[in-house]
Amino acid sequence: MLEIIKNEWRFLVRSRIFLSISIAFILILLLAVFLGNYQTQKQEQTHQNAKEHVRQQWVSIDDMNPHSAAHFGTYVFKPSNLLSSLDEGVSSVTGNVLRVEGHVQNEIIHSEASQMQAVSRFGKLKPSLLLQYMVPLLLIFLAFNTVSKEKESGRLKLLVLQGAKPLQIILSKTLSVWFYGLLLLTFTLVLYTILNFQSFTYEIFTRTILFFLSYCFYYFIISGLTVFFSARWQNATLALTSMLGVWIIWTLFLPNMLMSSAEKWHSLPSRNEFQSAMKEDRSKGMDGHNPADKRGFALKEKVLQEYGVDSLSQLPINFDGMRMQADEEYGNSVWDKHFGNNRDVLQKQKQSFQLGGIINPFISLKNTSMGFMASDNLHHQEFLLQVENYRRVFIKMLNDKQTYGGSKTGNWGWKEDNAFFKSVPDFNYKPTQISVVLSNYMLDIGLLFLWSVLVIVLIVFGTKKIQIV
Amino acid sequence: MRNLTILLYEWKHFVRNPFKIVALLLFIVASIYGLQNGAELYEKQNAEIERIHKEAETKKETILSYFKNNEKGPKNKPWIDVTTPYWAIWNTPSYHFKKPSPAIVYTIGKTEQYGFYKAIGISSSPYDADMAKEIANPERIQSGTLDFSFTILFLLPLLLLVLLYNIKGQEAEQGFLPLVMVQTGSKSWWILARTAFYVLLLVFVLFGLLLYGALLTHVFDTDTVFWNVFLLISIYLLFWVLIYFLIIKYGKNTVSNTLQMIGIWLLFAFIIPAAIHQWISIEKPTNLMIDIIDVKRDKTAEIYAQSNQLTDEQLFKLYPNLKQTEIAKDSIRIIKARRSSIRALINMAMKDATATLEKDNRSKNELVSKTYWFSPVTYFQNKLNHASKSHYKDYQNYRNEIQNLIDKRIEIMVLEIWNDVKVDKIKYLEYNNTFRK
Repeated sequence: MLEIIKNEWRFLVRSRIFLSISIAFILILLLAVFLGNYQTQKQEQTHQNAKEHVRQQWVSIDDMNPHSAAHFGTYVFKPSNLLSSLDEGVSSVTGNVLRVEGHVQNEIIHSEASQMQAVSRFGKLKPSLLLQYMVPLLLIFLAFNTVSKEKESGRLKLLVLQGAKPLQIILSKTLSVWFYGLLLLTFTLVLYTILNFQSFTYEIFTRTILFFLSYCFYYFIISGLTVFFSARWQNATLALTSMLGVWIIWTLFLPNMLMSSAEKWHSLPSRNEFQSAMKEDRSKGMDGHNPADKRGFALKEKVLQEYGVDSLSQLPINFDGMRMQADEEYGNSVWDKHFGNNRDVLQKQKQSFQLGGIINPFISLKNTSMGFMASDNLHHQEFLLQVENYRRVFIKMLNDKQTYGGSKTGNWGWKEDNAFFKSVPDFNYKPTQISVVLSNYMLDIGLLFLWSVLVIVLIVFGTKKIQIV
Repeated sequence: MRNLTILLYEWKHFVRNPFKIVALLLFIVASIYGLQNGAELYEKQNAEIERIHKEAETKKETILSYFKNNEKGPKNKPWIDVTTPYWAIWNTPSYHFKKPSPAIVYTIGKTEQYGFYKAIGISSSPYDADMAKEIANPERIQSGTLDFSFTILFLLPLLLLVLLYNIKGQEAEQGFLPLVMVQTGSKSWWILARTAFYVLLLVFVLFGLLLYGALLTHVFDTDTVFWNVFLLISIYLLFWVLIYFLIIKYGKNTVSNTLQMIGIWLLFAFIIPAAIHQWISIEKPTNLMIDIIDVKRDKTAEIYAQSNQLTDEQLFKLYPNLKQTEIAKDSIRIIKARRSSIRALINMAMKDATATLEKDNRSKNELVSKTYWFSPVTYFQNKLNHASKSHYKDYQNYRNEIQNLIDKRIEIMVLEIWNDVKVDKIKYLEYNNTFRK
């Protein structure tokens, strides 16, 4: 078998067309890695400048009432990560700016896609674009006549006469084509590692290895299936057109169709409906700014009783801050309910889409590629959750200061000094660890594995009776 | 006559080739699915607009009930007084909609990147959070909706490839080519006639699909959009026919022709647009709206902190009529009027900030437009988006309309406050009518 693989590679290397295409393709791949990296760095610089600018505004607050500061709020910018230079996933369509303030949980806005006209339907020239769409095509072009050519030239008969088994020949050819895919993949990842060596962490390394593995499976499926078609059909053109048909259905038709269908099966509310429902639920709670609010009044009675005093002016604390915090906490439970529902729907959509991998391994590849590069919706949702958690801590700190900082109820003119605002921590995004989310991709990995087994079964059983000539 | 014979022969060839028939059927199915997706979006947006209209009506009725019951506002919010222009205008629910064009059935364009309804208030801006897109799965938006334009831009060239790939190559491989030359006289005419058959077939199919789409959303109600889309699609088809014709004419065999065709398709559909997208992202990184943030925080605080004299000067410059009002001469009443009018100054500052942002976006879009000549797929995509009013520029126009409505609302509010207008039911209804326009 090894000898056949070596021979295959000798033939390939001798082909000028193959060498030229390979060199050109490797150059494009390397360029994509380099540009992807450069773009990520540039975007990260913009992000860092914006983050520092906004933080500077916050730490420059001289004297301000803590609750006014909660309205002043802050902004969180979605960071770009090193991994997204390989596959940027949903980053270009999700927003980038999220306002963090009291009373309101805002939506992330200002996506890159909203800032310009349509350019590329399949995203930027990132390595993932080439690895997902182009490399499989190259493998198809390389494999479609690999067996039929041998049949036509009579070489297959010669090889069998020399003692090679047809199955061995077909598997060897599959492996030799597959190795070519792996070579391109390795080139890409080696350059990526070299360019980012200093920032490489164990987490990034693990994710990159998983990324590599998922592509390995997919390339094996493509290579094996094409060689299988090449062996089964007498005509190389038929093998090529069949495989092109499979490629078109897998990569262009089904992902779009299945994702649209999943969104219909598990529908999300419209933004206005969602906001109205949130507002409705919120109105059932406390109005932090309204002293006449009934629920606020009940809280007041409770607090007065706790402190054993008759009026708010006798309280050693500022009740306004306490009411604001109670309002926040009610709002948080409303947010948890409604955003929790949306997250559940999104998860159901994702699961339905993942099941699409049963008929289309490309879907599994797409999921794992985005997921392992931390740029899928799951990671985006994790980011949003971290921001919301930060918002809660941030606002509670301000409300607590209003309550226990030394001011009295109704004293809205009371202000905290700069030292306090400097002590409020900035948002610090903690990238989601792969170990935490790996279970979400087990179905995709499992399906890619099953597809690989299926291809082996097809080759083993489907090529038993192939015609040698 | 000879060409007609070739056309008829090609028909026989086509009906006897299940692979080509299946490809055509798949294309038709995908196109119908795409048209249905566009029509559904059209219906969904219209239904949402209708729902919001009703919601606004309910809000209006609530305010009208205050006038009817001689109340100033909700009992639990005593600071609200709807008989003053400030609170009456604040409580006049008005939305501006970007109604979907019926041609959205053909291409949804940038529709899913933006909001299509906007609540207009005195503190609004065209870049508010409620201008964000509808709640949707970002992974679906990233992979794009399979709309009709997707099938045209990406699948039509592939269908054409499947229909044309073995023209001449097959005959050459089987050794019939010299015979064909003898029978038909000219190789080029023979290829052209055979290609023309598929062009006619596709034009017929595309026309039928467009017609089907037109029935879903009443496209014929809107000027000439049907014919514009048909013309664009026909030109796009001819563009690919020309490329494939040249490949077939000068190509040697089926496999080599197929590889060249798919290579060109990959270049135009994937590599060139993706490279342009990457280049633009490097040249012009995503704007993080710092200018707008600065206005919302620093500039707003600055305006509130500035001297009364400066505020008055700026207000009088903006609305010269204010200077002549009674309130302008009343040192007590001017305090409240000035305070309530500060929004107008913040709005001006916000407009300056959005102008900077829009300039940045404009330069990005100009860069994209400059690449049209070597990125035909991007060109046709944007032309189709224009036709269905779902291009970036259509949404920019929508934002401009919103800004005009905000300006108008603020101007009326300021003039009414300074003229000490008392709001009653009739006046309130007048506001509702004015802001709806």
